[in-house]
Amino acid sequence: MTERKSPTAVLHEGPRALTEEQVREIEESELEAVLNVDIDDVIEYVHKDLKSLPDFITLYRKYLKQRWDVYELDFSQDKIDWQEKMTEAERQSFMAIASGFHHGERQVEIELPVFMIGASEEEKLHIAAQIEDEARHTVFFDRFYREVVGLEGDDIMDILDASFPWVSETFVGPFGLLAYQADEVRRNPYDERARVRYGTNYFLWIEGVLALSVMKVTLSYARWRGFLPAYYTGFTATCRDESRHVQGGMRYLQDAVRKDHTMINEIHDTLRTILAVSGVASREIIYEPLGWTEAEVRMLFVQQLRRKLNDVGIDMAPDIEEMLQQVQPVLAGG
Amino acid sequence: MNDIKFFSKQWAESVRDALVAGPSEQAKAGKLQEYWDFFDFVKSIYPASWALGCRDLPADLGDAPSYLAVEWAGGTVADCRIVGPDDPLEATFVLGMDYADWKALHEGYDAQRTVMYRKILLEDGNLLEFFKAIYFFAECLAVIGDVPAEYPAHAAV
Repeated sequence: MTERKSPTAVLHEGPRALTEEQVREIEESELEAVLNVDIDDVIEYVHKDLKSLPDFITLYRKYLKQRWDVYELDFSQDKIDWQEKMTEAERQSFMAIASGFHHGERQVEIELPVFMIGASEEEKLHIAAQIEDEARHTVFFDRFYREVVGLEGDDIMDILDASFPWVSETFVGPFGLLAYQADEVRRNPYDERARVRYGTNYFLWIEGVLALSVMKVTLSYARWRGFLPAYYTGFTATCRDESRHVQGGMRYLQDAVRKDHTMINEIHDTLRTILAVSGVASREIIYEPLGWTEAEVRMLFVQQLRRKLNDVGIDMAPDIEEMLQQVQPVLAGG
Repeated sequence: MNDIKFFSKQWAESVRDALVAGPSEQAKAGKLQEYWDFFDFVKSIYPASWALGCRDLPADLGDAPSYLAVEWAGGTVADCRIVGPDDPLEATFVLGMDYADWKALHEGYDAQRTVMYRKILLEDGNLLEFFKAIYFFAECLAVIGDVPAEYPAHAAV
């Protein structure tokens, strides 16, 4: 971690072009070497294939090469950084953001299985891999909270209970909706319109916008300060996993719209609901200790949504454009 | 011991009063004013009704499933009553929850997680419309859970 660029530099630089060597480094790095991968490159990598989306077998094969062992991470230096080097303000900001992920990863793990029922056989392989990824990410945060933050509990739910006080009330917007959409899909697993609405919230909004934006906040902070090496390694590897999830999700939505153009109405209606509850915050989050401002996080959200929709060829309705200007950051992801 | 039983007519009246009054000062503390302004705005225009069911209401409390029917209009609760399994059920959104989860909510389990963990589920109604007012719903659910009532521990089903 030699680079000490400011966390928000890439926001103002605009999209970067990845060299073949950078792509190879992202795709082929073993877990230990992920520490040296730039998080901004990984986020750019998510978008690299959006215009010509890979098929589900390709994504499954990538998963087999890229999966990593969450128990290989050594959090001992992170614990020293957390206790001795980070300020109280930095720890509080970090907790406010990381706790949304702690709970978000759990939510996207348990709400995904029902989506597999109505999927093609090839997509089922990709979804099965994604469920395993999300379970691993849940364990990653469980370990981080136990071994670095110092929360105590007998099981995974005890640790979730202990970090829940840091989760904003607005978390129930996208994640409560996902839970209910999963139930809708469970009742009618072949209802393609319900599946598209579910996919819009899960793959486009939660993973493509919230997760990729908010991941960047804590990871660019860690890289900037040279802190939390195991967190940086594991969460950057998580981001690489998310690139497959977002690409698979965008592939699903793009295929659905190409088969039936009226499906775009389901995407728009879902975005209208999400944006209707995204214009309000329940807690004041101080981003500055991590090198960000609220306006910059909001800009990141908007950039992420626009790029995804543009790259996969989904138009944004004018009223949705207007709603987008009011969005407040929801510090969560999955 | 509280004399008012869960899912009784008196409990429904207490729920109505509590919903009209809104969240307590204690509940409001720690959340931004803009969040409560949004809550108040939704409340002022909310045109829908909820039927909040107890799927396995214990036999000594009534017949299952019974519903707490809450109708909103003009920024207040227009109607709040118990609807039994043989009564006509008309509501914009019908939701259901098990008795154990109602009891847990009363004992302090978080309303947001009650939704997220699917302890209460939407059984009928437009999901996307329902979620446009989800913060309003979740805060009202917490208010309902706080209403004093007797929840028998080992009630006969």
